[in-house]
Amino acid sequence: MLEVKNINVFYDQVQAIHDVSFEVKSDEIVSVIGTNGAGKSTLMQTIVSLVETKSGSIIFNGEDITNLPSHDIVKRGIIYVPEGRRIFYDLTVAENLEMGAYALKTDKKRLREDLEMVHEMFPQLNDRMKQLGGTLSGGEQQMLAIARGLMGHPKLLMLDEPSLGLAPVIVEEVFDIILKIKKETNTPIVLVEQNANMAMAISDNTYVLEVGYVSFSGKSSELMYNPEVKEAYLGS
Amino acid sequence: MGLKMQKIKKIAPIIISLIIALVLPIFVKNNYYVTLLDQALVNIIAVIGLNFITGLTGQVNLGMAGIFAAGSYTSALLTTKLGVNCWLGLIASIIVGIIIGYVLGYPSLRIKGIYLTLTTIGFGEIMRLLLTNMVNITGGTQGVLGIPSLSLFGFELNTPRRMYFFLVAVVCLMAWIAIRIVKGRWGREFKAVLNDDTALASVGIDISKVKLNSFILCSVFTCVAGSFYAHLMGYIDPSDYTFDMSTRFLMMLMLGGIGSVPGSIIGGSIITILPEILRFLKEYYWLVFSVIILIIILVLPYGLVSIKDLPFVRKLFGLNKNSLGESNE
Amino acid sequence: MESFLQLLVSGIAFGCIYTLVAIEYSVIYQASGLVNFSHGQWITLGGFVFGGTMIRQFNMHYIPAMLLSLVVMGIFGALVAKGIFNPLRHLPNNLFVVLGTVMLGKIIIELCRIIWGASAFRIEGFLSDTVKIGGIVFPEVYIWIVIISVIFLVVQAILFQKTKLGKAMRCVASDQKAAALMGINVNRNIIITVAYSAIICAIIGILVAPIFNVDINMANSISLKGFAAGVVGGFGTIGGSIVGGLVIGIIENMYLMIGPAIYKDVVAFVALIIFLLMKPTGLLGKNQQKRS
Ligand SMILES: Nc1ncnc2c1ncn2[C@@H]1O[C@H](COP(=O)(O)OP(=O)(O)OP(=O)(O)O)[C@@H](O)[C@H]1O
Ligand SMILES: [Mg+2]
Repeated sequence: MLEVKNINVFYDQVQAIHDVSFEVKSDEIVSVIGTNGAGKSTLMQTIVSLVETKSGSIIFNGEDITNLPSHDIVKRGIIYVPEGRRIFYDLTVAENLEMGAYALKTDKKRLREDLEMVHEMFPQLNDRMKQLGGTLSGGEQQMLAIARGLMGHPKLLMLDEPSLGLAPVIVEEVFDIILKIKKETNTPIVLVEQNANMAMAISDNTYVLEVGYVSFSGKSSELMYNPEVKEAYLGS
Repeated sequence: MGLKMQKIKKIAPIIISLIIALVLPIFVKNNYYVTLLDQALVNIIAVIGLNFITGLTGQVNLGMAGIFAAGSYTSALLTTKLGVNCWLGLIASIIVGIIIGYVLGYPSLRIKGIYLTLTTIGFGEIMRLLLTNMVNITGGTQGVLGIPSLSLFGFELNTPRRMYFFLVAVVCLMAWIAIRIVKGRWGREFKAVLNDDTALASVGIDISKVKLNSFILCSVFTCVAGSFYAHLMGYIDPSDYTFDMSTRFLMMLMLGGIGSVPGSIIGGSIITILPEILRFLKEYYWLVFSVIILIIILVLPYGLVSIKDLPFVRKLFGLNKNSLGESNE
Repeated sequence: MESFLQLLVSGIAFGCIYTLVAIEYSVIYQASGLVNFSHGQWITLGGFVFGGTMIRQFNMHYIPAMLLSLVVMGIFGALVAKGIFNPLRHLPNNLFVVLGTVMLGKIIIELCRIIWGASAFRIEGFLSDTVKIGGIVFPEVYIWIVIISVIFLVVQAILFQKTKLGKAMRCVASDQKAAALMGINVNRNIIITVAYSAIICAIIGILVAPIFNVDINMANSISLKGFAAGVVGGFGTIGGSIVGGLVIGIIENMYLMIGPAIYKDVVAFVALIIFLLMKPTGLLGKNQQKRS
């Protein structure tokens, strides 16, 4: 459903992504792992056109979306939950969620149903709907960011380091949520993670990025036993 | 050999501009235009000063008219009302400049960005309103008349032409000082403030001192310019020192190229002289002038000194990135 | 006592104007991170379009003249956003926008001079009555200033709190990248915001025309003091703008009870600097970090 073909990306003169190809099929979870600065976020931002693709192409559901304006890409159903959550601090939790559905032509009723679904999936947000986004705890903010993403009815959901900076218990919770989303909505998910163990455990395929290159890719269940990957990323 | 060529390449523009500056008055017959050139030189001194704050540390100062006025009025009032020698008046202006540097620089330690810009605007407005209304001291809207011309070892600089050569010398001196500062340790510290406050603090540089220094330098240069302006014109009144004047200095700085001393010189000259050249457009001249400047900002935000970085210009002259020598960020 | 109340009346009326000015430029600042240094000239332009063209040239009735002026200014704002704000917004330093908008202001003034002539004029009979209640004079224009300001604030609150467009504007103000990820067209949103700001400028220009006459310098002092009001109140919050506007308006008028009138204009700036030194982010300002 998403096909990234041989893309190259630059920040000014510096190349951040080298000839990367990447594929997500419908109904799978793909994890992208790599150390700090490997280019994972850059790859995600390129897909949603926050960063320009210099060469190569990005195809989504058979349509070339390379360098389309970000808001158009979002309207086509690729929802990116960015690194660092980036919820709107000055908007209430409810408004944040509502904005998640901005791109959809939803009526009030549909919006309410969607909010119901979010309430079920993220009970910890229930009492906080009137609170400003900026006053939530880190874990709650992450939940809100994911929930906000779901409000847009993603055809493809991309999560950038959802476990970053969270306590281990909360990390478990986040991964449970991801599996639940997969199970209940059958949405394909791209999961960018430093926490390679957990990411590979729940994903179907994995791409390993190293300084802008794809160094390994394949079935998670197989890559997990690749000695080099094990040595470098799985820490055992 | 290569080194020598490089040195020549560096010095040649300086020599050429100096020669142009020195022979220019021969071709300019009308004294009115020589006075205009004098004003350009005075403005250049102030813009070089503004470059320290706005060009290097990136803090937008829109209170230049107030500082300039302080320099003008200090000299004008001391020489006319108290009969003080004009050089002592200049020294007094410099001292006033240092004081203003502290007065404006101190807030800059707490206030940042747009808030600081507004503070400087507020300062300029307060200054102008005080000058207009403290009639007993400043003469109010009447201004100060009969400001004596400067005299150098008994030689009266009482014509625009004499003043011109003196000002060329002063600009050379000030530009030289400024370039030494820009290229020296202070210049690097100023630029570091522009890029990132916190990184500076972590290498143990005192940011407040760096910021204060930049403000003091700016206001001393500007007060010196203001003082010369008063002696040049012989008459000043508050209607000159408006917010418009402050924006004009900013124009000069940016048209030439922020952060660059040669840029300040180019900008100061063009912004002072171009409107006169456009006078033939009658009532449209100021409109055309403003449109030209706006277009330049949109096309060449880094000023005329960055013209060499435009792709088609580079191609035209076969420049490559490294042959630029001292680029100005 | 009477003079106190009289000064309070003008303090409140001018306070409302400063509030509108504060809102008008802070919506642009919020949306784009840019400060519009030509907003005074936008106000002037609004006054000229209304007084010079709609009333004098076309002899229109006040109400349609106002509405049409607002439309014209809205279109003007959109064009400026497209031509100047959006290109300059991507440059790394706000210097460029400062100078770019300053130059735009000069161009507007020159155009006004060329189109409508250099001499000031008054709009005969427009909000020129006065009402006297118990020894206190209420100029008609002051009353309308307060009424329109209140209506405007309600409209603004509804727009920003209740409508999808207004919420999107707040998102863009809060985090542009995240806003784009919601599917918001950030560039278009900024254009709408700037147009909205231009409309507020037109409202201000029309409201102050009876006070200052229609003149190329008509907005000089209110635009600077509106800046001060916004800063005193804390950039960007509606509440802050109201408080800041009223504080500046009332302080400068109350000052007249103790000091000579010639220094009235200094008061706003002294207040500005004192406030800034005490609280660098304004009275109600939050210490928010903007994300790029
Ligand atoms: N806006 C930018 N401007 C310039 N360089 C950038 C920018 N964003 C990222 N880079 C550079 O691109 C490279 C890849 O960064 P990226 O954020 O994609 O890495 P990452 O894999 O997401 O790392 P992390 O795990 O730390 O989030 C880094 O070298 C980084 O410094
Ligand atoms: Mg990242």
